[in-house]
Amino acid sequence: MANHSSTHPAHVQHHFVDSEQQFDSAKMGMWVFIVNEVLFFGGLFCAYIVFRTWYPDLFTQAATQLDTFWGAVNTVVLIGSSLTVAMAIRSAQKNQQRGLEINLLITIALACVFLVIKYFEYSHKIHIGILPGAENYTFEGIDHPLAHVFFGIYYIMTGVHGLHVIVGIGLMLWIYFRARKGEFGSEYYTPVEITGLYWHLVDLIWIFLFPLLYLIE
Amino acid sequence: MSDNHKHGHHISTPAQLWAVGGALIVLTIVTVLFARVIHLPYPFNIITALAIAFTKAGLVAAFFMNLYWDVKFNLMLLIASLAFFILMVAITLLDTLYRIEVVPSF
Amino acid sequence: MATAEATTKTLKVQRFKPSENPTNTYLTDEKGVWAWMTTVDHKKIGIMYLVAVAFFFALGGFLAIALRTKLLTGASIDFIDADAYNQLFTLHGAIMVFFVLVPSIPAALGNFIMPMQLGAKDVAFPRLNLASFYIYVVGAIFTFIALALNGLDTGWTFYTPYSTESGSSVIWVTTGVFILGFSSILTGTNFITTIHKLRAPGITWSKLPLNIWALYATSVIQVLATPVLAITLLLLIMERWLGIGIFDPAMGGDPVLFQHFFWFYSHPAVYIMIVPGFGIISEVISTFSKKTVFGYWAIALSSLAIAFIGFLVWGHHMFTSGQSAVATTVFSFLTFLVGIPTGIKIFNWVATLYKGSIKMDTPMLYVFIFLFLFSIGGFTGIMLGTLSVNIHLHDTYYVVAHFHYVMMGGTLIALLAGLHYWWPKMTGKMYNERLGKVSAVLIFIGFNVTFLPQFVMGSQGMPRRYYNYIDQFAPFHQTSTIGSYILGVGFLIMLYYLLHSLFRGEKAPANPWGSRALEWQATSPPDFHNFGHTPVVIHGPYDYHQPMEEFQLGIAVDTNGHGKDTHVEPDDPELDKWKNYSLG
Ligand code: HEM
Ligand SMILES: [Cu+2]
Repeated sequence: MANHSSTHPAHVQHHFVDSEQQFDSAKMGMWVFIVNEVLFFGGLFCAYIVFRTWYPDLFTQAATQLDTFWGAVNTVVLIGSSLTVAMAIRSAQKNQQRGLEINLLITIALACVFLVIKYFEYSHKIHIGILPGAENYTFEGIDHPLAHVFFGIYYIMTGVHGLHVIVGIGLMLWIYFRARKGEFGSEYYTPVEITGLYWHLVDLIWIFLFPLLYLIE
Repeated sequence: MSDNHKHGHHISTPAQLWAVGGALIVLTIVTVLFARVIHLPYPFNIITALAIAFTKAGLVAAFFMNLYWDVKFNLMLLIASLAFFILMVAITLLDTLYRIEVVPSF
Repeated sequence: MATAEATTKTLKVQRFKPSENPTNTYLTDEKGVWAWMTTVDHKKIGIMYLVAVAFFFALGGFLAIALRTKLLTGASIDFIDADAYNQLFTLHGAIMVFFVLVPSIPAALGNFIMPMQLGAKDVAFPRLNLASFYIYVVGAIFTFIALALNGLDTGWTFYTPYSTESGSSVIWVTTGVFILGFSSILTGTNFITTIHKLRAPGITWSKLPLNIWALYATSVIQVLATPVLAITLLLLIMERWLGIGIFDPAMGGDPVLFQHFFWFYSHPAVYIMIVPGFGIISEVISTFSKKTVFGYWAIALSSLAIAFIGFLVWGHHMFTSGQSAVATTVFSFLTFLVGIPTGIKIFNWVATLYKGSIKMDTPMLYVFIFLFLFSIGGFTGIMLGTLSVNIHLHDTYYVVAHFHYVMMGGTLIALLAGLHYWWPKMTGKMYNERLGKVSAVLIFIGFNVTFLPQFVMGSQGMPRRYYNYIDQFAPFHQTSTIGSYILGVGFLIMLYYLLHSLFRGEKAPANPWGSRALEWQATSPPDFHNFGHTPVVIHGPYDYHQPMEEFQLGIAVDTNGHGKDTHVEPDDPELDKWKNYSLG
């Protein structure tokens, strides 16, 4: 594509008229993708609701095995990371190179903290015999024949969410390295913006998982 | 408000962002308090927990994800996705809540 | 895009008459296998999808012929025993649904045509588009691995609890379909954004071709429904692997819940398959009647209405599953509503034909076949949606006939209409019109001979998915098998003349059908960037009362033009009036 005219900045792909159109398209594309994510998790929430209305006792009994304290800590960690990612976008908009890099690094660090806490929660459960699946489940502290169903739902919901956290870390590392090369500034920060949107979504989902799984009684 | 003229390029001030972050953390503490200390009777415990969760989600969507300043279409997308989720749950419950046997025997 | 200050802007436009002898096209730029495999050009990606879809269609068709051959007799024959039979119908169904019909129109034809109809250079996210294609390929590889291992015998619907117990490679196939789902989701996301953001100057929502409206509605369904399929399959994989107890009754789960999840996707998915077909029908019917479509808004909005109502009716597949009586009643009622927007479309198409100058070329022949077969399919759908009737007909050949009338008689015939319609644009070659008609007629006859008897035997009680049958049904089964052979011959003829046209076909003019639609105002085959200029649209896509020149306008001084082969006629005095056109 040799004959790009000089009015076309380097970051604008050839099929867009201008930077504005590219930015709007990317953002809208991300929102459409968020719709898809909402329904993806929606299926899990639907299963949760159906089983909860069938077996309310099961849910109140089983939830006692989840650690409210660490769940709350993780909520705060994710909220913090949402805040720093918003700050990162602001830094990019303001051409603050250092602020952008530091905020991205803090976000990545917080995401890792979330995963580490999650790891300890999982390993404690696995240790006492709370495993996903009827045959693997050996814990005897809950007096309900379907206890494994609750934890099946728990593991899948938090597992799929955790997977999203891992993907988010990958995306943010990618953004971080591009930021280090000085690719972003007030003229062009589209990838930072849409990665930020994704990360907020991960936070949004946890905001619902936390009360539904940990706080019910 | 340090608003930019072009839509979609709102720049929030640090104060705004910190205020939202702070509110989210306070709400998290409140919801834990309600569940573990105050103990509302059913169904009010669920209603408060969900109300707080939706408030938090609203804050994130409006001020972190910038929907408050963004074109209305993106807000519409989010609402539509929730509407379809509710539809899915509501219609499924129409079956699962009204069965003669919870899980029919085979 | 609409900033508040600039409500009108004045554009300098001129006429760009497409060259009849383009030397530079998307086929001559970037040649070679590697260039194709790494291209982000929507046209090449569309062609690659088309080839993949054709391959899977041939595979699925081969399986179908094997099935029908087996059913010539009820007895066991050497090469197909009962277990092999289960595998064959499962693979036939899964391949035709997931690998052929779902991607066929949007990802293959849509990819090629949609940006051209919008006057855009590409889709909004070209790299994502290529990624979607490779995700599709990876999904296909998983399915082939399953074939090489133990195959699949659960039916395309993967119902639990059988799918958690079956000895076949369920996890491989479901993983493959899970991956495939992402291809579909990403294509939908890409299309929605493209339609919103990449329209050429002048293409307002009311000037959008109906094909675009249909693709838009389809994309909406893809984005809303496919994620639910993904999560369902993930839960199914977990159920089979770990026994988590959500769907498997032996573990405390509920198999009917699986059906809810599955049909929450799969009923809307039937609209993912048919709605893009509606778009093609609208385009072809207007071009070959040389007439504005009747009821533009009725057709455009009924696509969206179908997309919406399609989400409310999934339980009509579960009337006999043990679902609550309240739910069955509500679902039966809502099912009737779906018929309304579909009926609106049929009436408007027929009204479009009225007093048009109809030309019966191959694409139009397929449109008539579509109208006839799809109406039968739709009506029988309504009959199946009637609660009491359904109890009798559920899981019989009547259902098999219904969905073949809509999926093959509807979607596939529409695909063939579109394929023949856009073939000259895509390849730059004309096909043999006479052979085209012969094969269309053979397909029509073969189709009806195959599937009409299935309505009869279904209503007499022949269950679907059975390997064996009682003598009473022998004549029906045998007629049906003969019909499938006729169909096969029809498709072989088509394969022959299409290949022939690729290598020896006559050169196609830029606009062989005299259409007013924007994609026909590019060269055949199009330039690498679709148009050499930025098109400007001032009329609706079906305004046949306006002269052709006025559909060939573009921005006169283009700062970002790429093309070379467009013939510019700046001095045409007739067109002087467009030199300073205001776009409201
Ligand atoms: C007027 C619109 C339609 C109505 C009211 C309708 C209604 C129904 C009903 C009630 C059934 C369930 C039959 C049973 O299993 O007992 C059914 C099955 C089916 N329909 Fe339709 N349908 C319509 C259009 C379509 C379209 C457009 C397609 C696809 C392009 C389609 C594809 C199918 C398929 C694949 C099945 C069988 C699924 C299976 O069990 O394997 N239908 N339809
Ligand atoms: Cu259906």
